[in-house]
Amino acid sequence: MTLTTTSFDWVRQLVHRESAIVLQPGKEYLVEARLLPIARQAGLADVSQFVESVRSRPSPDDTRAIVEALTTNETSWFRDGDPFTALTSTVLPALLAARGPNERLQIWSAACSSGQEAYTIGMLLEDALPNAASRVSITATDISREMVQRTRAGRFSQLEVNRGLPAPMLVRHFVRAGNEWEVAPQLRRMVTASECNLAAPLPRMGPFDVVYLRNVLIYFDLPTKQAILRRVRDLMRPDGWLFLGAAETTLGVDDSWERVVVGRSSAYRPLKGK
Amino acid sequence: MTTIDTGERRRGADTRPVITELIDEATVEAIAQEAWISLVGEDEVLVPLPGEPVADPLSSWVDVVGPWTGSVVLTTGRRTAEELTRALLREHSPEVLEDEDVADAFGEIANVVGGNVKAALPGSSGLSLPDVGDAPALRNPEDVCRVDLLWRGETVSISVQGALPPLPAH
Amino acid sequence: MRALVIDDSRAMRRIVSGILEGLGYETRQAGHGREGLDVLETGWVPDLACVDWNMPVMDGLQFVSAVRSNPALRSMTIMMVTSESEHTQIVRALAAGAHEYVIKPFTADAIRDKLALLGLLPQEAVL
Repeated sequence: MTLTTTSFDWVRQLVHRESAIVLQPGKEYLVEARLLPIARQAGLADVSQFVESVRSRPSPDDTRAIVEALTTNETSWFRDGDPFTALTSTVLPALLAARGPNERLQIWSAACSSGQEAYTIGMLLEDALPNAASRVSITATDISREMVQRTRAGRFSQLEVNRGLPAPMLVRHFVRAGNEWEVAPQLRRMVTASECNLAAPLPRMGPFDVVYLRNVLIYFDLPTKQAILRRVRDLMRPDGWLFLGAAETTLGVDDSWERVVVGRSSAYRPLKGK
Repeated sequence: MTTIDTGERRRGADTRPVITELIDEATVEAIAQEAWISLVGEDEVLVPLPGEPVADPLSSWVDVVGPWTGSVVLTTGRRTAEELTRALLREHSPEVLEDEDVADAFGEIANVVGGNVKAALPGSSGLSLPDVGDAPALRNPEDVCRVDLLWRGETVSISVQGALPPLPAH
Repeated sequence: MRALVIDDSRAMRRIVSGILEGLGYETRQAGHGREGLDVLETGWVPDLACVDWNMPVMDGLQFVSAVRSNPALRSMTIMMVTSESEHTQIVRALAAGAHEYVIKPFTADAIRDKLALLGLLPQEAVL
């Protein structure tokens, strides 16, 4: 059963709205191929049925799964660059000064998807700190079990490792596994991946010094965004740092954060007394 | 001492691996799929199904020399090879395709597939420049990993085949 | 900005040149390392060289070594673009002086991403 025009158009608009990526007409094949695994996981036989079910009852998780499946080759390391360079240039030195020598820094990649963000953070820290594995722990969570498993496996294709990952970092932090690349054991040990639904009460985690909550709030309505930011704040250190997606802001959503310029990026810090 | 040939390869003093011990069809398929996405188009899909036997075959291949030695051979119909060439060249496609254009493009696809197959093998290996024409003969039927794929309904086969003939049976 | 594209496959040269021109580069092509050096010897020094590995006459690694041993070409960034993707091969290329390495199969975005990392995008990258 091929994707109907209406379904395809709906998917096209969704993807463009959430990721700015344009799916040209004629890419029905791509949509079919990429969404079939998710449709099957939802217990449906074909993509059209799945899309129709999501259209009639949209859920943030389903829409996010669709967008991610279609933009998967677009996912890159060091996405947007600056929020990661900010980590080593500004955030890390500030934290090391503020914390005791035996205190472990905790970082949370709160919508980790296939793990590129968590391992990007890990690589930067390994290159910046001697014994990074003993100084920092990285928690990676996602609502999708499949994504959590992918993050744990730490395996990426040739096409994926080409995207924004400097070659010297590739050879330092990855080993070959068949026709894929796998995160080296030391780096892999820095990251613990688990399932977590941001839109529900969160398990006890952290307290986190740094949180990356990038490009996931966009899928939720305002009350849920507010609830998520509150829950995230509750798991953060009072002097912690929050990074959102390049086009995202707490402005108009939650006034208990202070926006701070960090290099060419912005971070949000819990406002005292709020 | 008599050795019973059960059909399984017995290595004994011979340490030459056969390709099926080093790579599987799923990996070769994944390599081909990524090569197609990159070279032919992002929405291209290769379906792992046998198709019609190829009427007017053309092959391109690269040789791999290392702990395993052999060739990575792509075979498809001449017309399909021309379609692949046009897809690769996109807007740079000439009005009339010369044999040279097809050899160049089809050879480059073999280079990309072959280079990635080589990298999935253990150890370090050398890769030759691509060649195009009639497929090199199959030297050892036990030393082959072959996948048959459909691209836009046309058959494309990839054969990772050893260069060495089988050892004589005792 | 200028780029030199070196690959023995005419199709690949066109693909890579096309991507670079779309990013604002002026490009020239060469079919192997020796031809690439010939272009440089005319005094046309690019900001970027995209170099394949396996080529007749002079391969990419030899080209990289030749360029790196020439102080006059210090400003040139070298990015290998090749199907050679063994870990040891990439290490060798970087050790020989290549700045970046793009594995074939790549997408146009991969090249753009790498150029952004190197600060070699003629115009602001639009994500």
